[in-house]
Amino acid sequence: MESKAKYYFQIATTSGVPIYRQIIDQVKILIATKKLPKGEFLPSVRQVATELEINPMTASKAYSLLEKEGVLEFVRGQGMKVKESDLPGESLEQMENEIMPLLNEVVAKSKQLSLRPNRIIEMLKSLLKEIGNE
Amino acid sequence: MSDHIVEVKNVSKSFNGKIVLNGLTLNVPKGSVFGLLGKNGSGKTTLIKCLLGLLKPHKGDVVTIGDNPLKLKNETKEKLGYVPQSDRIYPWLTVRQAINYTASFYSDWDVELVNKLVSAWELKDTDKVGLMSEGQVQKLSIILSLGHKPELLVFDEPVASLDPTARRQFIKMILDLVADRECTVFFSTHITTDLERVADRVALLKDGKIDFCGELDELKDEVKRLKVTSSDPITGNIDVEGVLSCEILNNEAVISVRGFNERMKKELEDKYKGEVSVENLNLEEIFLELNR
Repeated sequence: MESKAKYYFQIATTSGVPIYRQIIDQVKILIATKKLPKGEFLPSVRQVATELEINPMTASKAYSLLEKEGVLEFVRGQGMKVKESDLPGESLEQMENEIMPLLNEVVAKSKQLSLRPNRIIEMLKSLLKEIGNE
Repeated sequence: MSDHIVEVKNVSKSFNGKIVLNGLTLNVPKGSVFGLLGKNGSGKTTLIKCLLGLLKPHKGDVVTIGDNPLKLKNETKEKLGYVPQSDRIYPWLTVRQAINYTASFYSDWDVELVNKLVSAWELKDTDKVGLMSEGQVQKLSIILSLGHKPELLVFDEPVASLDPTARRQFIKMILDLVADRECTVFFSTHITTDLERVADRVALLKDGKIDFCGELDELKDEVKRLKVTSSDPITGNIDVEGVLSCEILNNEAVISVRGFNERMKKELEDKYKGEVSVENLNLEEIFLELNR
């Protein structure tokens, strides 16, 4: 249980991305990569706040938005856990919209570095293989 | 009582004809960690002193913990903790004497918390205040403001003289306070990285008024830097609502905007027949953009 929050989340407080959104994104990634299995309990708001040294309201905002989205489920007296039932999956378009800006960045950077497109695709493929998504 | 622990309405204050606060309105919700940002000389300290009744506004109303700050009742003072920018604690007292002296004014004093902080911040009971460094005095001053378990803590540039270790401890302490009990923290600073960690709300003080007031996350969602890549060379300034700054080079433009939304992005894409990429800004960058 010790420093669970620090193990799950890496928060960049000076990033332009609001902290609550960083938590939301990271919870989703942890679930997608099975690091947070279904039914697993997340560290409490209090734990997240004190361990990551962020405002408790921020942590609680992230959790409640995730609950609203149907990703997490609140169990009285026990806390937030990853929902047992299948996630109400985002639509393909939504998911594509989410990933597009990141891909744009990759494209822009590889242009700057004059990396061959094929090389980028290879790199992406091997990364995808790593998380067993292929 | 309302949900606001501090209410400031249309407050104006000038010194020798120089206007510092100009019809300023601000509400501080109960239980928030509220950061007040502004350049040097923007009036942060003046505003804080008006909240506490240390200065009298020329115009407008202030309500602090449901009370008139110019005539604070004793019971209201018991709920209030304040650390000024540079505190003058009697230099001939030792750390312990200063603590005991302050404690004697209050009906309820948290000995445990005070002692915990004294040792965490490595202050020595027997040290004379007059011989301590500015940072050490600031630590003591913060400790003294907490002992009576105030409902509202007001800090004017609390971390200015603290080293990074003490700054982190200070932040942790604030977070413990707001997590454990009903406590509102209102502080001014220009060290934006600290603010980003703890504050859930911020207000930007500019030209005697509040330029932005709301959740820190909202501010980050609202102020963005956009890179417009057009198919043709861009001439003239980028014309879109809320532009803060604009730099154009051939067919590329980098602009900062406030009030960003997806519609704005689409509008720009259509207008300049090109691509618009959105860059997030951290609080320091936002501060710089809004103070241009």
